[in-house]
Amino acid sequence: MALTLTCPVCGKRNGYEFRYGGEDKGPKPDDFGSSPETWCDYVHMNRCVAGIQKEWWCHRDGCGVWFTTHRDTLKNLEME
Amino acid sequence: MSRLQNQPTLRVDTNKPLSFTYKKKTFSGFKGDTVASALFSGGIRIFSRSLKYHRPRGLYSLDGECSNTGMEVNGIPNVNAEKTLLEKGMQVKAQNVKGSPELDAMGFMDSLDRAMPAGFYYRTMHKPARIWPIALQQVRKAAGLGKISPDFRMTGEFDEIFPTTDVCVIGGGPSGMTAAIAAAETGLRVILLEARPWLGGFFDYRQSEFSRDLPHYQRARELEARMQTLPNIRVFTHTAMVGAYSNNLVTAFQIGNEKDPFDERYLEIRAQSMIVATGCIERPLLFENNERPGVMQIACAHRLANTYGILPGKRAVFSVAHDLGIEAALDLFDAGIEIAAVADIRDNPSHAALVSELEQREIPYLKGWVAREALGAPLKSVSLTTLQGTFEKKLECDLLVASAGMTPVTGPLSMAQAELAFDQHTGFFLPKSLPVGVYAAGRLLGLNDSRAIEASGQVAGLSAALNCGKASAQALKDAQEMLAGRPQAERGCNLVMAPVKGRKAFICFDEDTTVKNIKQAIDMGFDATELIKRFTAAGTGPGQSGIPGHNLPLLVAQHHTDHGALTRPTTMRAPLVPTLMATYAGTNHLMSKRTPMHERQKQDGGVMRKIGVWNRARYFSDDFSCRREIENIRNNVGMLDATTLGKFRIFGPDALKALQRVYVGDMAKISPGKIKYSAMCNEDGCIIDDGVVVQRGENDYYFTTSTARAGITVEWIRYHTRYDGWDFNLVNLTDAFGVINLAGPKAREVLSEVIDADISNAAFPFAAYQEFTALDTIPVRIMRLGFVGELSYELHVPGSWMETLWDALSEAGKPFGIANFGLETQNVLRMEKGHLIIGSESEQRTTLHDVGLGGLWDRNKPAVDTVGAVALQQTENQEKRLKLVGFKMKNTRTPPKDGSIVVDDRIRGHVCIARYSHTLQEAVGMALVEDPLHAVGTEISIYEDECQGQLVSATVVPMPFYDPKGERLRS
Amino acid sequence: MTDIKRRSPMVFPQEAKQVEKQGHWAVVMEYASEGEGPWIIDLSHRPRWDLQDSDLSRFKPFEIDIPGKPGQCRLENNVLANRMNRTQVSLWQLTGDRLETPEDTAFTSTMDVTVCLAILGQAVFSIAEKLSSLDFRDPALSTPRLFQGPFAHVPCQMVIAGQPDGMPGMLLTCSRGYARDMVAAILHAGHEFKLQPAGQLAFDKWVAGLA
Repeated sequence: MALTLTCPVCGKRNGYEFRYGGEDKGPKPDDFGSSPETWCDYVHMNRCVAGIQKEWWCHRDGCGVWFTTHRDTLKNLEME
Repeated sequence: MSRLQNQPTLRVDTNKPLSFTYKKKTFSGFKGDTVASALFSGGIRIFSRSLKYHRPRGLYSLDGECSNTGMEVNGIPNVNAEKTLLEKGMQVKAQNVKGSPELDAMGFMDSLDRAMPAGFYYRTMHKPARIWPIALQQVRKAAGLGKISPDFRMTGEFDEIFPTTDVCVIGGGPSGMTAAIAAAETGLRVILLEARPWLGGFFDYRQSEFSRDLPHYQRARELEARMQTLPNIRVFTHTAMVGAYSNNLVTAFQIGNEKDPFDERYLEIRAQSMIVATGCIERPLLFENNERPGVMQIACAHRLANTYGILPGKRAVFSVAHDLGIEAALDLFDAGIEIAAVADIRDNPSHAALVSELEQREIPYLKGWVAREALGAPLKSVSLTTLQGTFEKKLECDLLVASAGMTPVTGPLSMAQAELAFDQHTGFFLPKSLPVGVYAAGRLLGLNDSRAIEASGQVAGLSAALNCGKASAQALKDAQEMLAGRPQAERGCNLVMAPVKGRKAFICFDEDTTVKNIKQAIDMGFDATELIKRFTAAGTGPGQSGIPGHNLPLLVAQHHTDHGALTRPTTMRAPLVPTLMATYAGTNHLMSKRTPMHERQKQDGGVMRKIGVWNRARYFSDDFSCRREIENIRNNVGMLDATTLGKFRIFGPDALKALQRVYVGDMAKISPGKIKYSAMCNEDGCIIDDGVVVQRGENDYYFTTSTARAGITVEWIRYHTRYDGWDFNLVNLTDAFGVINLAGPKAREVLSEVIDADISNAAFPFAAYQEFTALDTIPVRIMRLGFVGELSYELHVPGSWMETLWDALSEAGKPFGIANFGLETQNVLRMEKGHLIIGSESEQRTTLHDVGLGGLWDRNKPAVDTVGAVALQQTENQEKRLKLVGFKMKNTRTPPKDGSIVVDDRIRGHVCIARYSHTLQEAVGMALVEDPLHAVGTEISIYEDECQGQLVSATVVPMPFYDPKGERLRS
Repeated sequence: MTDIKRRSPMVFPQEAKQVEKQGHWAVVMEYASEGEGPWIIDLSHRPRWDLQDSDLSRFKPFEIDIPGKPGQCRLENNVLANRMNRTQVSLWQLTGDRLETPEDTAFTSTMDVTVCLAILGQAVFSIAEKLSSLDFRDPALSTPRLFQGPFAHVPCQMVIAGQPDGMPGMLLTCSRGYARDMVAAILHAGHEFKLQPAGQLAFDKWVAGLA
């Protein structure tokens, strides 16, 4: 895959080596469980930023580490 | 036909003849010939008939810019004969003809062109709608070029490589080579790709002077020799670029020569910098009958003579717009062709010296004239006209060299995300902007001066090197200065079409699209080039816009009033050149996993199936109901290979916290010597895995997961603890231990033959865990579980010991009737116990409570934010959920098929599994159904596919069906 | 009576010239016609461990100073230590009498978790280039060097060692279950370079040359 991602342990690698872990939403906020709707929103709703997004990736085919990085979703390129 | 001798630029070896067949006759060529050049030298002038009008077509570009020479070679259709090297014994056939290309019975189609205006198939063949299926059949027969049988099997070796490099250069002409040399001299790794079988580009076939006493072709060989002294340049010839992607990922495919162990191979190159030096092709000249056999582009005629030693004709007329046209006329005259005239669209040619050489040879030179019509098939004469149409002239000839000038090869550039814009001065689409790390060099920038072309390569090479952190800014500045000192981009020719109507002026050869068709499309309201392309099909053929690519937007721009501001070639997409599917498939290693007992089980009659990445035995007999295996376990003892189960060690100060996070049970409540069965849920409370956990030491646990989750468990646990900073360690031991499931009333007796310890029910009861030594040597971890509902031991043995232990158990079990059992048997046995398999009795939306395992969730355990706890709490009393129930068929011993739906006035659920149970002598199963249907005693109706509306009935019954008290597995 | 044997997941059909009993292993020391290389050598019977701890600095496994950065390797006393990440090291005992698993609970024996093999010879990079896009020849990296990434589409640990202009080599481990298909893929890729199986002797000689 053309996309490259920089694993903090292994360095820059082919996008295919990684699994996408979603937008970084931070740890659960305190009021997360007040209703099924708020819980569902926290788990499933995404901001879908058209631009630079902070997201989680796992180096599945390599060292296995989970890390965050910034990617420009319009160009599908990792920010340097 | 005899070849020209004494051509130092010859790339064929006249000492190595190669024979092949065409039209049932034997033809002969030489090593280095293409199929097309060999056929041409054998007198063939018509190679195919066009798609729609069946017009005769011949050699035009010699580079496969159109599919005029598309032929069947050795059974493979649509082979581009002008790009395919001749091999001994090739069987060549014409395509798309009824008869022969010379006498095609479908040739009458040409006179029906008025009945087939642009897009006629969109508008005619479906009114009324019922004629479309008939029309479709006929169109299918008439359309397409090559034919292939569905039984055709591709043979050959197809390989792939994935090299990394610093600089990737596309194009092995003079600027590509100087770029590669400049980059390599800084110490960087360079890869150079050249589509032709040899390097040299447009220097390769020219004897004209590069510098005093140094002809162009020799200069090219000098550059090549220089590259060979640099070990950090890897050169791939006969390698065409196929695509370019972000972060300078370049794909290409290479055709192997006879020494290579592959026929074709796929290259995927990751580069830091990319240089595109793909040079130019010619912009086809548009006039009436511009695609007749006998009409050729300049380089085609020139290279037939200089590269292949073949005279392209006897008497020629030239209608050109570039000095290369004049150079070709001089060379071909000197090689022995009569030249009736050289018509030049320009009335101000660049090099007076070249024109005077024409005069010296008494070749008439017509400034400001252009071809208007090619006459005769085969070509007999040409009608020329002044650009203003004031005068006409007809000249006899069998060869018309026609070209509207050069145009850059922009495909690779645009795939590399260059932005192209039309440049009035050169008449070229030039890169207006290039992304970081992409550089352009050579003729495609509009340069014509040979030294300037080389200098631009150096500039590109040093820029690329600078991008990689090598080379000095000063070196680059020097190279730029040198380039600036040379003649800059030359004025090009902007003529698109001779002053004719264009009814038979073909803008696309492959799709038989004429200029008249383009005008028809514009009249119908199409204004965007992309839409006109699609509506008229211009550029959608195998030539991939090699012919209409730049003419189409320029023609359309003439009609529009925006003066070409938005004029751009249509979007190029990979593959840039036709590529065999087999090349894309490559070597295609299928990587799957095997257990240590794979071969042994196969020898014992195991029928293997793929489960995810693993190979597992599903059956051990032809009887897929597995009756014998099932009864053997209920009565004696059986052995199953369960090695694929996920197995993990988790240890460290926070190991318990991590377990508490992902398991719904209270993991602090694990008793020594006992297993704890629990489940994992996702954030929606839906069950995703179940398994057992044992504690082996302080902060040291060993746990199992299902086969499907083994590969993802470590990821899952790390993901769900990513904000916590806990100190724990995980080791995936899935492959480390083979697992032998020994099950049946006689299991203990068999096991005691290999284990010399007290394994009585008192010492080692149900749900216990202990570590033993088998055969006095082998360490084995044993759990007593009850998945299949009998006395059963799960032996975890190190993989390298597994075969030994398995064989020992097989031998020890013989007197007890031991036999293998596979996954289907296990499936039926566990079904009889109402035990679930995740994914079978659960769906993505099935919660822990839905499958009756709510008891596994300890809601009171110390708050650790167990994954799923929130949703479990929110859904445990939710109505209208699908719940897992057991059912027994009424009035039949035939179970419904897995997946059949449960219905009343609408769909209420589905059957997860159903089998005829020999043990119970009843057809039973499990289903997920909506309330109120899940009450015990409810009658449910089941709809199977193909049941013709006949529903079957079942009754909801309690589970387990077999041994409800669980006495057998606790024995 | 069952043979009490430990078995490797890699088996070559070639005729073995010399086989040695090492504990319960039958180790092929040499094949009948090994040729000059390149070679593929089974090392699945060699002891290997995983060492994980939040503070690796308190360990000196087998007297080796653990390398400081992920990707770095150290070979000492025939044990190769590969730093995998902040908290994890893989340890491979390449030759010599088998060492016991150290007492500390931070160690886990991984000998049975993985198949382990070596590809030795100049052709190793050409072979690897067919099966992986990892840049094993990156001139910026010094050897021995650990790579964690895909090889023939399977996640592997690979160590590049040896002299680039002498006899470079790759040591590779991956999940044991993939052994058969991994070996098949390597043999297929190595066919044009005349890749042959070799035994422990050839490997021991190479290791000796690494020091």
